Amino acid sequence: MRLAFILGEIGSGLRRNLSMVVSVVLVTFVSLTFVGAAGMLQLQINQMKGYWYDKVQVAIFLCNDSSTATGCASGAVTKEQQDNLAKMLDSPAVKPYISDYQFESQADAFKHFKEQFSNSPIVDSVTQDQLPSSFRINMKNPEKYQIISETFSSQPGVETVSDQRQVLERIFEWMNGASVAAMVVAAVMIFCAVLLITTTIRLSAFSRRRETGIMRLVGASKTVIQLPFILEGVIAAVVGALLASGTLWLVAQFWLNGDLSRQFLNTPFISSTQVLVIAPVLIALGGGLAGISSLLTLRRYLKV
Amino acid sequence: MIRFENVTKVYDPNARPALDSVSLEIDRGEFTFLVGASGSGKSTFLRLILKEDRATSGSVYVAGQNVANISSWRVPKLRRGIGVVFQDFRLLPQKNVFANVAFAMQVIGKSRGIIRETVPEVLKTVGLEGKERRMPHELSGGEQQRVAIARAVVNRPGILLADEPTGNLDPITSMGIMGVLDKINQNGTTVVMATHDDDIVNEMRKRVVELKNGVVVRDEAKALYTSMIPVVGESRRLKDASEAELDRAQGVQQ
Ligand SMILES: Nc1ncnc2c1ncn2[C@@H]1O[C@H](COP(=O)(O)OP(=O)(O)OP(=O)(O)O)[C@@H](O)[C@H]1O
Ligand SMILES: [Mg+2]
Repeated sequence: MRLAFILGEIGSGLRRNLSMVVSVVLVTFVSLTFVGAAGMLQLQINQMKGYWYDKVQVAIFLCNDSSTATGCASGAVTKEQQDNLAKMLDSPAVKPYISDYQFESQADAFKHFKEQFSNSPIVDSVTQDQLPSSFRINMKNPEKYQIISETFSSQPGVETVSDQRQVLERIFEWMNGASVAAMVVAAVMIFCAVLLITTTIRLSAFSRRRETGIMRLVGASKTVIQLPFILEGVIAAVVGALLASGTLWLVAQFWLNGDLSRQFLNTPFISSTQVLVIAPVLIALGGGLAGISSLLTLRRYLKV
Repeated sequence: MIRFENVTKVYDPNARPALDSVSLEIDRGEFTFLVGASGSGKSTFLRLILKEDRATSGSVYVAGQNVANISSWRVPKLRRGIGVVFQDFRLLPQKNVFANVAFAMQVIGKSRGIIRETVPEVLKTVGLEGKERRMPHELSGGEQQRVAIARAVVNRPGILLADEPTGNLDPITSMGIMGVLDKINQNGTTVVMATHDDDIVNEMRKRVVELKNGVVVRDEAKALYTSMIPVVGESRRLKDASEAELDRAQGVQQ
């Protein structure tokens, strides 16, 4: 009976305040979409890190005939220099940091180059001599790149030490920046949402002060008096959160895994199922914020 | 049933207290009028019983319990034992008579079956049978007050507080309301009624507690509105008329 009564009260409250309730739904929808977008960017970064970090290598490029670096003053790398470098890679000072390494000769490099640019005219203008041979190193811990760089970059026969990871880091930094920006927008929007929920609940409490006054006098419990208002805010916010989750799912399903993944073939995009992990967070966040702000508003504006 | 021990209520420290060291006991089943000029503290007295306000000093006991010791989550329980009626009826305009009365039972979780059984009974007690489906704006003031009384007593409280319940009604209708309150009192409910209406007080001949500037200046059994003034002239005529209304009201109930 009491449950039916509370449900009825919620229904009439939502109807009476329809336009305010709709605006609460929309504002929470937009703000939580931004929160979710920030979350998706983080998921995407993690996904790409997981995918690429196993594959990225540190490369020690060796001198060739056309090298201009100071370490290459004596011309192309010699057999001794190359053996010396290989010995250093196996030495106890370096070995603990690397899981394995391969030597890529100029011929291998040329082959890879031709594969990579198979349908570009640049292939015809490049000869094998122009490409450097290299040691390709898989690190145990990619963060320890500095050690390889310090040890090898001044060795004779080494043109340069390059970390593919740094290129990725720049991309991730950019994505991180975008996710922070989304969070900032989200924070402002959430602030708006909270203000709007507060106002809505206040209006709702005001428009029903007759009922609540009588409820108080006949001895209705605090819960029965307050719950309909709180749930009114929470329901509106949860609807907003569901809309936001739906939107993000659509974005993942039809944009990331549609258009974008056709354009960037070897980029691992997050799946629409992964986005569903964000949905409960959004719903809890929306519902929680609405519940707390309603409760605080009622404490001020609804005597029980 | 209700006991005040040296109760003082100060709203504004710069003004005189709304109640000034009031000590008073009202027994179970009594009918008590609270009279006094505007601002003498009648409403304040009633509010303290409901724990709507806290006494500045002194103690208020309701059914043997010091209300100051009732924790906020148990206040609803206290209020379930007390019915309240006001001058302005306070009905819910979009609910019909039945729903207005049922509301008081719904919000404390009474079952549908009990509501369906009890509400018509109570409406009969206040003389409103057959008007269950009327909306408040389709009722006269006297009928609206009867609905309010029905709502106040539908949960069978031991105490009924009435703050100028006849303030908006003409003398004859007022007497009808008094008949209802009297009947509720006869059923064992303690009634405390604040009023300005001298004719009613004179007619009923119940206990009268008179407040003046927050102080009890008179507490008299079977008394008149003003001490020692006989019923004469205009009052006499109204008395006759109201007796007729009383008879009519009782006739309706039988
Ligand atoms: N909430 C309040 N805040 C401040 N002062 C108040 C408050 N309520 C009542 N008072 C003051 O307390 C005094 C007693 O008021 P109360 O309402 O009890 O009088 P009353 O006897 O019911 O008057 P009336 O017959 O006009 O209803 C008055 O001086 C009033 O101004
Ligand atoms: Mg008053």
